[in-house]
Amino acid sequence: MSSSTPFDARRPNKIHRYKPKDTNAPGDDPTPDYMNLLGMIFSMCGLMMKLKWCAWCAVYCSFISFANSRASEDTKQTLSSFMLSISAVVMSYLQNPQPMTPPWQ
Amino acid sequence: MGNTMRLLFVVTVLLLTGLLGVGSKKAHSDGDFEDNEFAEFEDFDDEEEEGTVVEEDAEFPSESESQGQAASAGKNDDDDDDEEEEDEGVVETEDDEFDHMMDEEEFIGFDRDTRAGKGKPHDVPDLKIAKMLMLAGLGVYFLNFLAGKTKNSKLAQAWFTSHKTLLDENFSLVGDDGTSKEVAGGTLMKESENIYTLWCSGRTCVEGMLVELKLIKRQDLINVMATLLKPLADQISQFAEKKGVEKYNIPSSFQMLSEIPEASSFILDKRVCSALEQYESQIEYIHISDQYSGPKNQYDDAQTKMPEVTPSLVFCFNVPGKGKTRVSDIEGTVVLMKLVFYCVDKARTKAERNRQKAEEAFLKLAHSQRQEAAQQRREEKRRQEKERIMNEEDPDRARKLEEKESKRDMKRKQARTKMMKVKGILLML
Repeated sequence: MSSSTPFDARRPNKIHRYKPKDTNAPGDDPTPDYMNLLGMIFSMCGLMMKLKWCAWCAVYCSFISFANSRASEDTKQTLSSFMLSISAVVMSYLQNPQPMTPPWQ
Repeated sequence: MGNTMRLLFVVTVLLLTGLLGVGSKKAHSDGDFEDNEFAEFEDFDDEEEEGTVVEEDAEFPSESESQGQAASAGKNDDDDDDEEEEDEGVVETEDDEFDHMMDEEEFIGFDRDTRAGKGKPHDVPDLKIAKMLMLAGLGVYFLNFLAGKTKNSKLAQAWFTSHKTLLDENFSLVGDDGTSKEVAGGTLMKESENIYTLWCSGRTCVEGMLVELKLIKRQDLINVMATLLKPLADQISQFAEKKGVEKYNIPSSFQMLSEIPEASSFILDKRVCSALEQYESQIEYIHISDQYSGPKNQYDDAQTKMPEVTPSLVFCFNVPGKGKTRVSDIEGTVVLMKLVFYCVDKARTKAERNRQKAEEAFLKLAHSQRQEAAQQRREEKRRQEKERIMNEEDPDRARKLEEKESKRDMKRKQARTKMMKVKGILLML
């Protein structure tokens, strides 16, 4: 189609450097933020009420948040949420070595 | 730096979950063992205390050596074992024995096998299956993450290599990441595991082009989309299109939104139409605007000043092969890129007239927005005044304020009629 232009369309003197988009966090996909928050809530529930399934959900949530996170976000938040969920799981197993009872039982 | 951190993160996650699995398995078996041991020491009849020590040793040689001296250890077990050895005649008594005994937990060793089917069958499967399931689920998710990540990356790279020559012909700078001091090209940036961007610049009448590859979130099992999206955002110095609804002689699956009809007829000449027909399934949308200010910010209702605008063309293409795109499909989109450039060149020839019109239209919009905001502010003030009046205890002051209010109301009513007239005129324009 049009790429067979007779003249060279390039203009080296009119180069604009890339300006990274400012983080429009709410505009974009909010999944990692929601999952982060949800993970923290679940892990707190799991720790306070010693519910194992809560703690496991927290682990999953923080994993999902990590998978969806953008490169521009710092990983500290995700990492801390993950550590919290792991600690929730460990604590609930240490305090209560019985096998996990699902919430519907 | 970010990548290494992520890798570290992932590795620590795996280690921890593995350790957790091993640790709690161990805790479980120990716990069970201990429970069983202590369960053995539960209440028994005194009669059974006699003379069972030796037999007990015989039955459980490995475990109860240390507890052989304890009088109450395993008496019931012994009784039962004796009865078992006596065979079928004792079946009923065995059951009786089982009934008033605590649990299967009392019977460790070879008794457990016989009793596996009776007692509480649903306990044993639950014992570790739930945890194993969870860990397995995590493992699956992680594997999928890795697989999806590599596939996405491969797709993006393939796209880049296949389009590179075309881009190089048209732009003098392809792939800038904005951080290096010297202008060096060739960087495909990774925004996230499924979004890749490429910045090109240096062309006549184009300030820059940002190509954004939004791939399916293959790295996230939870997220399954039906199509791939690939939006391109060109920044150009001309053009105008906004709201209104019209239809054209293009495949009827397309909806046209345009404010200025001449512009659309100019753009949609024969070649473009034929291209549209041919690639109907792959073109998601083409948005041409003189003042493109980015996606609407839904959190900001009271915008009183004009947002920064740039004229731009936005093309959004779908990559074919819903959800199962292979590398070969990407090369087909090269043709679509050519369409983009064609439109760009056409846009150059349309100029000031449209720009003016568009400016006017936009001013109108901004003006009405500002008016709304001002009105809101005035309403607020009125409300505050009224509240003050209500709260005012001193009658004199209250009267004075009321007077002031009524005066203001009169003025406002007059002004309002004027405004309505002006608005009417503007709308007619």
